Amino acid sequence: MVKVSLQNVNVQFEVRRHGRVTLKEYVLKGMFRRKRNPVITVDALRDVSFEAHEGDRLGVIGHNGAGKSTLLKLIAGVYPPTTGKREVVGRTSSLFDVTLGFELDASGWENIKYRAYLLGETPRSIGPKMKEIADFSELGEYLDMPLRYYSTGMIVRLGFSIATAIHPEILIVDEVLGAGDKAFLAKARQRMDEMFQTASLVVLASHDLNAMEELCSRVIWMDHGTIREMGKPSDVIAAYSAQQAEQTAKLAA
Amino acid sequence: MADSDTRTDSPKSQMLVAPSNTWRFLDLRELWRYRELFYFLAWRDVKVRYKQTILGGAWAVLQPLLMMVAFTFMFQRIAKVDTNGIPYPVYVFAGLLPWIYFSNSISQATNSLVASQNLITKVYFPRVILPAASIGASLFDFAIAFGVIAVMMLWYGVPTSFTILLLPIFVMLISLAAAGFAVLLSGLAVAYRDVRYVMPFLVQAWLFLTPSVYTSAESLQLSRAVSLLLAVNPAHGLILNFRAAIFGTEFDAACLGVSTASAAMVFILGGITFRRVERRFADII
Repeated sequence: MVKVSLQNVNVQFEVRRHGRVTLKEYVLKGMFRRKRNPVITVDALRDVSFEAHEGDRLGVIGHNGAGKSTLLKLIAGVYPPTTGKREVVGRTSSLFDVTLGFELDASGWENIKYRAYLLGETPRSIGPKMKEIADFSELGEYLDMPLRYYSTGMIVRLGFSIATAIHPEILIVDEVLGAGDKAFLAKARQRMDEMFQTASLVVLASHDLNAMEELCSRVIWMDHGTIREMGKPSDVIAAYSAQQAEQTAKLAA
Repeated sequence: MADSDTRTDSPKSQMLVAPSNTWRFLDLRELWRYRELFYFLAWRDVKVRYKQTILGGAWAVLQPLLMMVAFTFMFQRIAKVDTNGIPYPVYVFAGLLPWIYFSNSISQATNSLVASQNLITKVYFPRVILPAASIGASLFDFAIAFGVIAVMMLWYGVPTSFTILLLPIFVMLISLAAAGFAVLLSGLAVAYRDVRYVMPFLVQAWLFLTPSVYTSAESLQLSRAVSLLLAVNPAHGLILNFRAAIFGTEFDAACLGVSTASAAMVFILGGITFRRVERRFADII
């Protein structure tokens, strides 16, 4: 059974106002005194609770700094919850960065494997997909060369081909990925759709409200680290757009 | 989809995370699942180390060899060391090999987490794989350099004994000790980058507390109590007995006991420290 469940989850980061203090400052300026260098607690997520099951397509919207990425990284396991309970059941794969962890001195083939292992695949599960990834990337014999000699576009294309060839049960995506030139873009779009359909559960954060309404079965609106609204995409997106329009009007006035 | 069948037989991963405690230091099942990542990272470390060097992998052999030449010159001419009749170059090489494995493991692991911060902030995988891969890469060098000692023993006609079969046990114990320091220091280095600058000095001083280039403490006319105290340094007792196993000389069981216990303690301490800071890696790195 595939499931993502958060119960009263808080994520806090502790930041010192003056950042990391050197020993000299520590002694001479009395930085050890709390008053001089107070610990600021940043509430990245506050009391977040929801449950998602098989078949759910969860969209996350909100303005910059609202906690979208933190929420996604929490589900992906990058951040642990400070308090509260997180339960994620199912093979999870996150797509935050298409060119994540590429080794420039390794060949394209080696990088395909490396990335797959980073995403929790095994040689058995990735083996049959190698050729498919190679074909999709259209990189041909470049794959035998170290990535050092690739153009930026080629690296993005390879990254995208790998990322979308892995079919996790739970797929976590931060911003729909754009990739390469126009011809590849159309192919990429189709491939993303396919990936969305095969995953049992998708969590997607994006600023593209039209895409969200189209793709998602439920939308969460994050605001200052809390869930402001959650429900039918059209309703939540309408409320969010209304608030945004209001803020823009306020700024204009 | 064509791959739906491969998906069903792959092991289901389950991640169930409550606030604390459940971030276990050694989730062996999970580590096993990520073993290919470990191999890749270790292999990458080996490759990166000799990247753009003219001699490439030969450095794995040259590094201990050059140290051997330096120490041979120093100790054979200036300070006489009692080696039980074993030619000093062979003797010192047998001590330097495990030392270089141990110290390289630790100094490279120390920086492993900081060097991979782009991975740590973007994807979940057992973090402990990073320092572990540094040890794996050093073990590879060690294996290469080990061939040299066999050649040297033949050349000098140094006899060995069946005790050489015990070597894997000592290599394992040295790995355990290195792993303890590796997780401890790599975890600390995330919070305090100073650790990185302290390491070269620490390794230098450590070498002279370890009987790689000299013999056991007895030959320096130290009392038994002092020699056991020195064995609190895990490298001390382990390297001493590693060499004894190669040449079939007498083991120092007491030193071995103290060093093994000390290694185990460092391993546990390192594990606990790592687990405590691991939770915060992604936001402080």
